[in-house]
Amino acid sequence: MNTKPVDLEQYWQHTLDDLSRYPARPELELLPLRSTDFATLYGVRLTSLGPYRLYGYLSLPTGTGPFPAIYYAPKYQSVLEIIPQGTANLQRSAYITFALAGRGQRQSDSPYAAMFPGLLTDSIDDTKSYIFRGLVSDSVRGLEFLLTRPELDASRLVVVGNDLALITAALHPGATQIVTTPALFFRTAEIAPRTQAYPLEEINDYLRTFPDKAATIYQTLAYFDLAALAPRVRATTLLMAGPAGSALDAQSLAPLATGLPGLVTVHESEQSSYKDGLYAEQWMAKQCRIADVQRILPEHWQ
Amino acid sequence: MPKAVAADYQSKVTKPTDFEAFWQRVWRQAKAIPLSPELVPDPLRTSDDVEVFEVFYDSLDRLRIAAWYCRPSRRAEQSPAILFLPGYQMDPPIPKEWARKGYLALSVAPRGKLRSLRQFNPGYPNLLTHNIIDRQTYAYRGFYVDAWRGIDFLLSRPEVDPTRIGVTGTSQGGGLTISTAGMRPEVCAAAAGAPYLCGFMDAIELTHTYPYEEINDYLRLYPDRRSMVEETLAYFDGINFADQITCPIIVNIGLQDNVCPPETGYALFSRIGASNKRLYTYDGHGHDAGRYQHSAIVDQFFAHHLLSAR
Repeated sequence: MNTKPVDLEQYWQHTLDDLSRYPARPELELLPLRSTDFATLYGVRLTSLGPYRLYGYLSLPTGTGPFPAIYYAPKYQSVLEIIPQGTANLQRSAYITFALAGRGQRQSDSPYAAMFPGLLTDSIDDTKSYIFRGLVSDSVRGLEFLLTRPELDASRLVVVGNDLALITAALHPGATQIVTTPALFFRTAEIAPRTQAYPLEEINDYLRTFPDKAATIYQTLAYFDLAALAPRVRATTLLMAGPAGSALDAQSLAPLATGLPGLVTVHESEQSSYKDGLYAEQWMAKQCRIADVQRILPEHWQ
Repeated sequence: MPKAVAADYQSKVTKPTDFEAFWQRVWRQAKAIPLSPELVPDPLRTSDDVEVFEVFYDSLDRLRIAAWYCRPSRRAEQSPAILFLPGYQMDPPIPKEWARKGYLALSVAPRGKLRSLRQFNPGYPNLLTHNIIDRQTYAYRGFYVDAWRGIDFLLSRPEVDPTRIGVTGTSQGGGLTISTAGMRPEVCAAAAGAPYLCGFMDAIELTHTYPYEEINDYLRLYPDRRSMVEETLAYFDGINFADQITCPIIVNIGLQDNVCPPETGYALFSRIGASNKRLYTYDGHGHDAGRYQHSAIVDQFFAHHLLSAR
């Protein structure tokens, strides 16, 4: 069902070409409330494909740098976080962090305010206007912006997120590492019918209501399929799989792992946000040559 | 290995002498506002086994609150109900899963959440500190009432058995579960996971992660307002609602919780007034609070108190 489209390369090249027609025109605003003695926070506005004006949070460590960076790619949720909930604020002392709200998320919700559920199937019956074509462009634009920062050590740039982390790294060589937790676009047509949980339940809702559109939406999904895009990724990858037995466990994701040409580590969830989160923090620190990871962990993980 | 957590941790929060009077006044104001419930069928989200509705009702300050309501397609004339309350950053989910287990299920979007933000939208981060120096206008004054009014919506439905209503949620949903169970005697069973909004002033010293870090941000910028912040938060602290809970209740916490410090979970549990209460602690777990194992316990708990209790 998710057969690789013959024009996959052209589809994404056209998307990137379209994006390049819109200068980012970044605008930074100091946010004193969220600035500390170890990091300064800025609100950032950027233009993406459309044109569409986006919002993000850029945190710069105190000091001279250059610093490694974590780019938190847009997520399937309305809220934009400075750093993910539960992350030690001190992470911002060791890394540049940049979190971007894709179109439809809060603070990037004018003129388009996404619904959750609703985002995954918005305009899914048209490959050209599917909302995720814009969201992928937004995510790439965020990475492009981060690469312009003089404080950045571009040899240590981790993109963290769900599917958009991997797709962004597939479309832009700036990511040196990625931490990706597939949720939306790995063999979606096969996996969605095996779950009743959102966000994939959106696909089931849509097909129940519009069964005659099945072929059309499978065609759209094929352009976003992680397995099809994986061969383009050059970054070292931490692939966060679901717990054993789940729809996106390590066994399920094996074809994706083998399709990635760079170094790949697969971490199967231990059904503990502590164990999984600690693993990812330590992996990123090692990749970015941060010696004292303990210092930037949450208190209850130390 | 992380440090051991003190199970006998004592919270610094004290209950204001006019705590009950404050909330009685707020609740009187809320009750004077007609609920004006509205159900709108959602055919896109409805399936053979679950009917889905968008719900709207009025709450404090006449804000229109949104919710999702799910009904099992096959059900008795009257069925038990579950009120599901959302996490801080969570988009309130469509509670189909609860309906598939045989419950009428309401998932509320308190003010500021998606679909309930037209009249009030402080945003995230910001909600936690919005008007934090004034208990009369603090964000959570209305936010709590919006959750509690979910019980009134359930009571307005003829298909709901008013003697079998449960409440549950995790993180902020866990904290809201505590205050709802404390304020609404109609709740006959409650399950709170990794409760947030409990021991605010303890938490900001025990951890430096968002969302609690919003308070540290605020106090760093406005250190002279600390006593006012403490004074306000005492009226909203779940620990101060806990002695009013009389229904059966279970609480689960992760001992490596990086969002809601487990110490505050212990402090909360010790103050719960119900005689039928049980704490489940999960070592090796963070803010998930052992969810993968614990969900079966929650199912059994509600099945015992709601599905089989007639």
